[in-house]
Amino acid sequence: MPTVILHRDGQAYRGEIAENTNLVVKAGIRQFPYPNLRYGCGMGKCAKCACRVLTGGEHLPEPNWKEKQRLGPRLEQGYRLLCQLWLSHDIEIEQDKVPLEPLKPEPAQGETR
Amino acid sequence: MPELMNHVDFRTALENAIKGKSANKAPFSIAWASGKLSREHLARWAENHYHYVGPFADYLAYVYARMSDRFTEAKDFLLANMYEEEIGGDRHTDLLIRFAEACGTTRERVTDPDNMSATTRGLQSWCYSVAMREDPIVAVAGLVVGLESQVPSIYRRQTPTLRDKYKFTDEEVEFFDLHIVSDEIHGERGYQIVLEHANTVDLQQRCLKICEIGAQMRLLYTTALYWDYVAKDLPIEQLEMTERKVA
Repeated sequence: MPTVILHRDGQAYRGEIAENTNLVVKAGIRQFPYPNLRYGCGMGKCAKCACRVLTGGEHLPEPNWKEKQRLGPRLEQGYRLLCQLWLSHDIEIEQDKVPLEPLKPEPAQGETR
Repeated sequence: MPELMNHVDFRTALENAIKGKSANKAPFSIAWASGKLSREHLARWAENHYHYVGPFADYLAYVYARMSDRFTEAKDFLLANMYEEEIGGDRHTDLLIRFAEACGTTRERVTDPDNMSATTRGLQSWCYSVAMREDPIVAVAGLVVGLESQVPSIYRRQTPTLRDKYKFTDEEVEFFDLHIVSDEIHGERGYQIVLEHANTVDLQQRCLKICEIGAQMRLLYTTALYWDYVAKDLPIEQLEMTERKVA
């Protein structure tokens, strides 16, 4: 089972997860990493779940369109949106004390609002 | 005579009550997953689906108001669920409308209740009826466990097809992506609430029954979509052959 280490506010929280686990879903159902992971909309918009990947990033898929839209240059600093990631390998992540401000997206093609 | 089940056995019984009635087996879902629907069919789906899921926060609001104030966790869950449907990020129905527009229909057509079928109206009415009349824990079992918890498995199967076979863009199918995460949370929290609070034989049996009926209602709705909008273009025999090939 993959091991997750979450660093936040000077503390490290470690837990094991099943393969193909989304940490925001897990926190949402009140299991590890609840209550230590900050998250919000669960839809790649608010960026409250953003974390910097310290180790294990090589196993993650390429950032999807929402991560590119919301994180922009922060991706190069190792930030990812946890709500968009389904984990199957060990990973060590750090969540900043202050949530990231998400970038404003360009209006999607065909968007009416 | 049924006996009071422990959480493990009760959870298995709830899952079994839904299994077999899963909407994944409806001909519309099979046609969708095999890439055989047209954008016009998908537009009709969106025009109907809006009237089933659009009032979801309204359904939950009735349950919230009637839920005992001693069940704080359950009330908070319902409130969070309503918030996430409406204002937690993008309004979920706006994302559904974005998909509908990509299928060639309009916001006006989607929001017009005259464009839903009689079966969709029946499903919507059943949801309101459960929310207003059933014991609140039984209502959570019906609406959240019986209906909402099915969504991730349905959309997990359908979303890649929308991109790969129907050639929709990522933005156009965002409605489906977000439900894989949010409904996973909602469905599981629904299970937790039902397992904790259905603590008599009678309540457990009523939860099982309503899960079964909820899954039946969704299957009925999805099956009707096929007969109302698709069957004339894609005969059932052709679809059964496709299913056999996939299986």
